[in-house]
Amino acid sequence: MEMKPYPFTARSYPARLPELRAGAETRRHPVAIVGGGPVGFATALGLANFGVPSVLIEADDSVCFGSRAICISRRSLEIIERLGAVDGFLKVGLPWTGGRSFYRDTQVLHFQMPHDENQKLPPMVNLAQYSIEQFLLDAAEQRSELIDIRWNTRLTGIDARADGATLSLSCPAGDYTMEADWVVASDGGRSFLRDALGLQLRGASYEGRYVIVDIELDTERPTERLAYFDPSCNPGSTVLVHRQPDKVWRIDYQLRDDEDPEQATRPENVLPRVASLLDMMGERGKWSPIWITVYKANALTLERYRHGRVLFAGDAAHLVPIFGVRGANSGIDDADNLAWKLAFVVMGLASDRLLDSYSDERVFAAHENLSYGMKSTEFMAPPSFAFSLMRKAVLSLAADHPSLGSLINPRQTSAIAYTESPLNQAAERSSEFEAGPAPGTVLAECPLTIVENGKAREAHLTDLVAPSFTALHFSEDGEIPAAFDELKRDLDGRGIPFRLVPITARVASDRQGIHGWDHTGRLFGMYGAKPGSLYLVRPDGHVAGRWREADAAEAKAAIERILG
Amino acid sequence: MNEHELDTVYTQLCRTMTTVGESDSLLFLARFAMLAIDRIGDAAAAQQLIEQAAEGLPETVRS
Repeated sequence: MEMKPYPFTARSYPARLPELRAGAETRRHPVAIVGGGPVGFATALGLANFGVPSVLIEADDSVCFGSRAICISRRSLEIIERLGAVDGFLKVGLPWTGGRSFYRDTQVLHFQMPHDENQKLPPMVNLAQYSIEQFLLDAAEQRSELIDIRWNTRLTGIDARADGATLSLSCPAGDYTMEADWVVASDGGRSFLRDALGLQLRGASYEGRYVIVDIELDTERPTERLAYFDPSCNPGSTVLVHRQPDKVWRIDYQLRDDEDPEQATRPENVLPRVASLLDMMGERGKWSPIWITVYKANALTLERYRHGRVLFAGDAAHLVPIFGVRGANSGIDDADNLAWKLAFVVMGLASDRLLDSYSDERVFAAHENLSYGMKSTEFMAPPSFAFSLMRKAVLSLAADHPSLGSLINPRQTSAIAYTESPLNQAAERSSEFEAGPAPGTVLAECPLTIVENGKAREAHLTDLVAPSFTALHFSEDGEIPAAFDELKRDLDGRGIPFRLVPITARVASDRQGIHGWDHTGRLFGMYGAKPGSLYLVRPDGHVAGRWREADAAEAKAAIERILG
Repeated sequence: MNEHELDTVYTQLCRTMTTVGESDSLLFLARFAMLAIDRIGDAAAAQQLIEQAAEGLPETVRS
């Protein structure tokens, strides 16, 4: 059987040299981003939202090959929408809301991801990483005045100092050095920068190996995650199936401990197992293999993500198991957390301690993701006879005892609440609320009518998240105390991005500027708010602080403490 | 017991059994069964669990 190519042709970009003097780039860059994958591009776009330029260094001459990361979560879609790249994701990506798990030939779990009438975006969409990268690249090319991409250019050395870094770069057109104030290390699982700085990932590596096969398949089957434990087509193994756009299907199956990975990935050993799986699933359509590779789960992270002027993000900072799909998604969340903080520092609006909070928050998030990921992995690739045996017990009981089913749930990714973050403000004031997201937590989604200069549109609360601090001030009809207008003038004068958005219980169409009208009547209750309440939201959509009876002085103090 | 607690208990059971080792795992589980029966303290309930645990066993198919 012939391997088919992916239904995607990547455009190839040549390397080019910038203006040089004696082998050194004449222009100094505030931010150099090493690694042009989803995380690198998301960081560049995030910085561009603040008008901060960056140079993106990518060793390949095109977007990636292979489908690789294929599940993009709701939180990631919210971030990508703020980066101006979401249209392609929603048009091409396949949305899904749940999945089924089977033990032998019995369905033992049917799970649904959180999804209700409050939501703007689906819980998850499936699309191949080459598409993910292409859509982000399309958006980056729209901002070429701020995002300078160096294709086919490899980092060969770095001299990282307290005041910046000198990067040594190599491309077919020649070698040169570049000076940068800050360096973002988004260069993936085999990060050159990690090695160059002598840093080690710490955590656990699992022995269990999975073969990953992408096939093209003709079928009408719906999009949902399918997991087969000890299926008749592959006894003793675990098989995962995910649908992707353009008739591409991802199949992962577990190898036995005694199987040699090199042998196991040969087509003559893979294709019969795929045929047998498709037969068991009742799939009769034509199919062709596209790509075969092998995967080993890791649960690893750096201890800190900030090392002087170098900031680590994505797989360069942490490796999480694929089960629960927290890899690319947590990397995109890293980029969202990092971009605003780095922008504020570059713009001279914050002390560089703000970047220490990037490390604190995202290391915390990594530990949360790893612990969920490890839970999923312990089930998908049991690390001892005991885990294997207990899993078998749970699988064989779950159909008749559904309360045990939660142990089979893959615990899919979701946004992390930074419960211990140094950026969280006014804890004692927050505790006055009986509902709503506490500091460190992302906004809970709710439909909202957004009125801007007389024009109303049906939207959602998260549409108000912007590249600025956003103060959501709750009131009956948009009346805001004068002190807040003064606060806005003060912050505007200092160049600190800040928006004051009234959230009104009644429609207030004669107001100037922007306001959000709680047309469902649910928002106030969800947020435990009354007229006069305030939620201060960060550029990444996490709550910074909240007050039941807002005080402009306290809001100002909160912002100043965050910026250091 | 909520889902998180169930998860914690399940994981502790797996880890403890891993430490006990495979050759003593049968004895470990037998002791756990006895402790659980003792704690449940209800003969009818315990007997129902014995029957439910035996359902489908011995396995007629491989693995």
